[in-house]
Amino acid sequence: MNVAVLVKLALDTGQLRLSQSAVGVEETPLKISDIDRNAVEEAVKLRGNAGKAVSISVLKWPPVGRRTQEAENLLREVLAMGVDEAYLVADEALAGSDHYMTAKAIAEVVRRIGADIVVAGEATVDGYTAQIPARVAAELGWPYLTYVRELRVEGGRAVARRDLEDRVLVVEADLPLVVSVTREINVPRIPTLLAIRAAMKKPIARLGLGDLGIGEAPRARLAELRPLMVSRRRLIVKEGTVEEKVDRFIDFLMEEGILRGT
Amino acid sequence: MRALVSSPEAAVLAREMGLEALGLARTDEEARRLAGHVGRVYVVRSGSVAEAIVTLYRDEGFALAVLPGTREARDAAAHAAQLIGAAFVPDAVNVALAGDKFRVERLVLGNKAVAVYEAHPPLLLTLGPGSRPVGEGSAGGEIRELSVGEDRRVRSLSVEEKPKGAVRLEDAEIIVSVGRGFKKKEDLQLAFHLAEVLGAQVGCSRPIAADLKWLPEEHWVGLSGKKVSPRLYLAVGISGQAQHIAGILNSKYIAAINSDPNAPIFQYVDFGIVDDLYKVLPLLAQRLKERLGRA
Ligand SMILES: Cc1cc2nc3c(=O)[nH]c(=O)nc-3n(C[C@H](O)[C@H](O)[C@H](O)COP(=O)(O)OP(=O)(O)OC[C@H]3O[C@@H](n4cnc5c(N)ncnc54)[C@H](O)[C@@H]3O)c2cc1C
Repeated sequence: MNVAVLVKLALDTGQLRLSQSAVGVEETPLKISDIDRNAVEEAVKLRGNAGKAVSISVLKWPPVGRRTQEAENLLREVLAMGVDEAYLVADEALAGSDHYMTAKAIAEVVRRIGADIVVAGEATVDGYTAQIPARVAAELGWPYLTYVRELRVEGGRAVARRDLEDRVLVVEADLPLVVSVTREINVPRIPTLLAIRAAMKKPIARLGLGDLGIGEAPRARLAELRPLMVSRRRLIVKEGTVEEKVDRFIDFLMEEGILRGT
Repeated sequence: MRALVSSPEAAVLAREMGLEALGLARTDEEARRLAGHVGRVYVVRSGSVAEAIVTLYRDEGFALAVLPGTREARDAAAHAAQLIGAAFVPDAVNVALAGDKFRVERLVLGNKAVAVYEAHPPLLLTLGPGSRPVGEGSAGGEIRELSVGEDRRVRSLSVEEKPKGAVRLEDAEIIVSVGRGFKKKEDLQLAFHLAEVLGAQVGCSRPIAADLKWLPEEHWVGLSGKKVSPRLYLAVGISGQAQHIAGILNSKYIAAINSDPNAPIFQYVDFGIVDDLYKVLPLLAQRLKERLGRA
């Protein structure tokens, strides 16, 4: 089976450079979006012995020029996990653009590589809008199953357990298909040294919107990104006995009127 | 210009922006409630919501659609948005019409930043936390049925309801929340006991519900769990990763108990105790009982 796996090179929110007034996007490193590692693991399992697993990434964070090397280093990790080939769509016009354009670019790569199934993470750590899987499916005209925590693919059909807020749905769908997975679906492998070395020889293809024949304009634009200031009291008690700490906490709760009935 | 809305809150929002609201409901009950706020409601009892959105866009036209925030509704919105060539901004916290474009805000980057988008109509949204509840309306709108197809390539085999207790974290005044700082399931009793003294509900971090399964998922707080807004959120043995914090930002007060003085949670608290939860919790429960009992 040929599997395409979507890998977001996300802004590493754990290392976000923030000042009072600005978000230092360009100074913040990228990372593989956490749940996409689960997607890669699932893709490599699905591929089996005969098929091919190809990753697709669209670079969304500027500066595109300077990020390409950083992106390729991250994609080596994906290749080391067992993916055979990586596609990187890097184009100034996609940085800060909307999901409409991203989905168009992804779908076009999927068409070119001829995948039977597209696997993605349920959402990415930086944007967390969870909309790419359903958009890519719309673009391809394929069915889709999101929030999948168990997946079995056999004989041109997939059976999945989908995790919704208040219930789990067991569903069946025909291939070709788009699937998004949750973190609970598997434990992503840590590549061996041998696999890391082998990954250095695997191909990474770089494409722009022109190569994909996409000339459309985004529907929305990121106009501004500003830090969210949380102003909390931050009274942190480190010193003293446990009794003293507990009493100071209760004093605080009472002074602030947090505990009613006092 | 029109707005397609699926809740009374969204209808009020649309009216404030000077848009004529049109309703989209999934059940007769929803349709009845919506009809109090809009002139016309389409009820789609079964079939693909994405197809309903696309059909209504084609037949009625809208500049804005405000849809429910459930996973299924979000999927439908994303799917429809691609088909009609629209932007989709889930969990919007602010939306305004500025000239011929919408300006929408939403929290991004683990809720450390606010992104402002400028989007051409049509724009699809779901509303984030903080939207005001709206009472019954008296618009007396007309209710019409809209029938759409089903995607036959996807077939439902069975449905398993998730276990439901009496937990309503969204309504809780005080939440005692537990994380991986607890060494075993039985130890959660310490938190449940404290919660009882405080009249609180018990929440948890993702690993407690998803990986360890020590508590049902209805306790799970965070980006992929519940968004809560209690008077007091007390995080016990929770490190405070961005994805957890994302669920608790609307709390009036945040407090934490953690043995690691460098735990990120302490950046987000009003009050923090650096110590072993196994020592703090029993004593806190006992002292609270004494001091509250005296009052
Ligand atoms: C896309 C995505 C979505 C996510 N969504 C969510 C979500 O909705 N909700 C969520 O919670 N997480 C979510 N996560 C996971 C999140 O990143 C963290 O992994 C998780 O919140 C950590 O849980 P924890 O704080 O309980 O555990 P840990 O990070 O392991 O922290 C345990 C803490 O306990 C403290 N501790 C240990 N022993 C003691 C003791 N004896 N006394 C006091 N303190 C002690 C430690 O110092 C530590 O700070 C998500 C992750 C991703 C990638």
